[in-house]
Amino acid sequence: MDAFYAAATQIKTQSILDWKAQGKQVVGYTCSYVPAEIFHAADLLPVRLRGIETDGMEIGDAYYGPFICSFPKCILQLAGKGMFDFLDGVVITPGCDAMRRLDECWRKAGEDYPGIVPAYFYYFDVPHKAEAHGLRWFVTEIRNLIHSLEIHFNKRITAEKLRAAIAHYNQGRRLLQTLEDLRAQGRVPVSGTEVFAATVAGTVMPREEFTRSLEKWIKTLKKRPTPTSNRKRLMLVGSISDDIDLVELIEKNTNALVVAENLCFGVRYEGNEIPEQGDPVEALAEHYLGRSICPRMYGKYKERLGYLKEKIRKAGVEGVVMQNIRFCDLHGAENALFERDLEAEGIPCLRIEREYGPLIETGRMKLRINAFLERISIKEKNHAA
Amino acid sequence: MSIVAGCDVGSLTSKAVILKDHRIIASCIVKSKPRPMDSAAAVMEGVLSAAGLSMNVVEHCTGTGYGREQIPFVQEIVSEISCHGKGARWMLSSARTVIDIGGQDCKTMKIDAEGNVIKFTANDKCASGTGRFLEVMARVLGVEIDELGRMTDRAKTPVTLASTCTVWAQADVIKYINSGLAVEDIGAGINTAMAQRVAILVNALTPEGDIFMTGGVAKNTGVVSTLEKLIGRKIKKTVKADPQIAGALGAALISLEKINGKGRSTI
Repeated sequence: MDAFYAAATQIKTQSILDWKAQGKQVVGYTCSYVPAEIFHAADLLPVRLRGIETDGMEIGDAYYGPFICSFPKCILQLAGKGMFDFLDGVVITPGCDAMRRLDECWRKAGEDYPGIVPAYFYYFDVPHKAEAHGLRWFVTEIRNLIHSLEIHFNKRITAEKLRAAIAHYNQGRRLLQTLEDLRAQGRVPVSGTEVFAATVAGTVMPREEFTRSLEKWIKTLKKRPTPTSNRKRLMLVGSISDDIDLVELIEKNTNALVVAENLCFGVRYEGNEIPEQGDPVEALAEHYLGRSICPRMYGKYKERLGYLKEKIRKAGVEGVVMQNIRFCDLHGAENALFERDLEAEGIPCLRIEREYGPLIETGRMKLRINAFLERISIKEKNHAA
Repeated sequence: MSIVAGCDVGSLTSKAVILKDHRIIASCIVKSKPRPMDSAAAVMEGVLSAAGLSMNVVEHCTGTGYGREQIPFVQEIVSEISCHGKGARWMLSSARTVIDIGGQDCKTMKIDAEGNVIKFTANDKCASGTGRFLEVMARVLGVEIDELGRMTDRAKTPVTLASTCTVWAQADVIKYINSGLAVEDIGAGINTAMAQRVAILVNALTPEGDIFMTGGVAKNTGVVSTLEKLIGRKIKKTVKADPQIAGALGAALISLEKINGKGRSTI
């Protein structure tokens, strides 16, 4: 667990340094639409880019301006400060418009801060629709990415290597599903903070190391004593968040336990294994685009709501905390719809708007979470009476 | 006969209430000090002195407000959102929607017949729409905060503040003062800007039943009357108690529930 926590709370992790010490290369990427299996197949370390450890915003603000999501600004800030000097490549995706702009802002910042743009800097496009033509387009995008990686890094990414990578990632997905099953139990042996740290660590650690550690950790969890608890079972959803402190802040309330998330850094696609036979590129496209439940995708609101309701039912969620980073239109709008539809079914919801980055608004957040927990307690009490 | 207390340490003022059964026997409001524990000690000393009691006769005390976790003498800590719900229900039994404008944030809540919060929203932006906004503006105008509230009635042509940001609005106010506009027109514009911010939150909650307002700003007649116009609903008034002590009162009521065995869970 300590390894997960260390990996989830640092930019330059020990496992990245160890990887580099072997003379191997690291590629950063910005969004859950990038199939990490491709890098694994090329013996490159895929590292999801994050904005933690930011202690200012002068570089991010200079290229982005003030009225935009603080997540990509934090990434740019860290890039400008040289915190990503271990990267041999970067893949930028249009997860949303703010993330898309990271491509041009980072390139422009590179003119003023020499050396911050890695030699391999690639824009990976992602369609907004998962229908047949969108999937075809995405297959082409993946093939183009593979081709470009092969040329730049002088690698050969064969179908066999891709299938092996998919099989290995599937092993991790099954383990994450086991973790989710443990959290869905009446007596939960693990805190939301621990699980979140583990899943975030999975986005930056070498996959073999992650799978091995996860397997070992789950074995210890199964033996952990699980006393009865009257902690309220919460779910955390919304904007991009890799912030362990946010989950910790919620669970500092001794009567709160985060038992589920719907966050692109959290456990989201567990159980969705990728076929290990057939064309691996088409299988990756089908998984990463076809099964996406991110609000950037058009025409899938009902599917997303259905997914949320199913997860709420399975994990026995008593309240949903919906957070969105300021200026995040996608999740801001989606959270309002979720709140409307879930409250109509008697599921208490709390919407919070926040800044990404070091938690500076703890007093304000704590008040809302306390009041929300009180609301759930009263609802239960009235229901029992 | 039960004697209980509630202590609300806010960012601008701290309030305390002592209840004997369901009756308020003393209340106290003091300006908050930098350290919440000092504010709590001062306001508790004030309310005990007003009641002629000592702390050892208080059977139970609940703490709330921004500094709620730093109050050393409480047995329970509850968020001010829940406390204002309880306090509002005590002040006006028909209240089902509560607007609480505190020193650093603004909350609207729906409550049930027992004053329990069933839904709430709170401002997530900045100091606009909070008591701090009015305090800063009153200082710029050089008037007392109570005086600012009365300006809406006396204004002939209220000004419009282009920004709801406290800092930019302050620049606007200084500009209006320098151009020689009547101070009442500027004051009314400030009250309107405040009411507009709060109206957004109220409408977001879709108010139901009687609307009641708590917190210090409930005493600002200019904000209240403008807000009534903006939301198209009357805000009910009461003379039962000062709306500014609603949080402390609600905390005391929760203490009362606690010792009467209504089984409120510890938060």
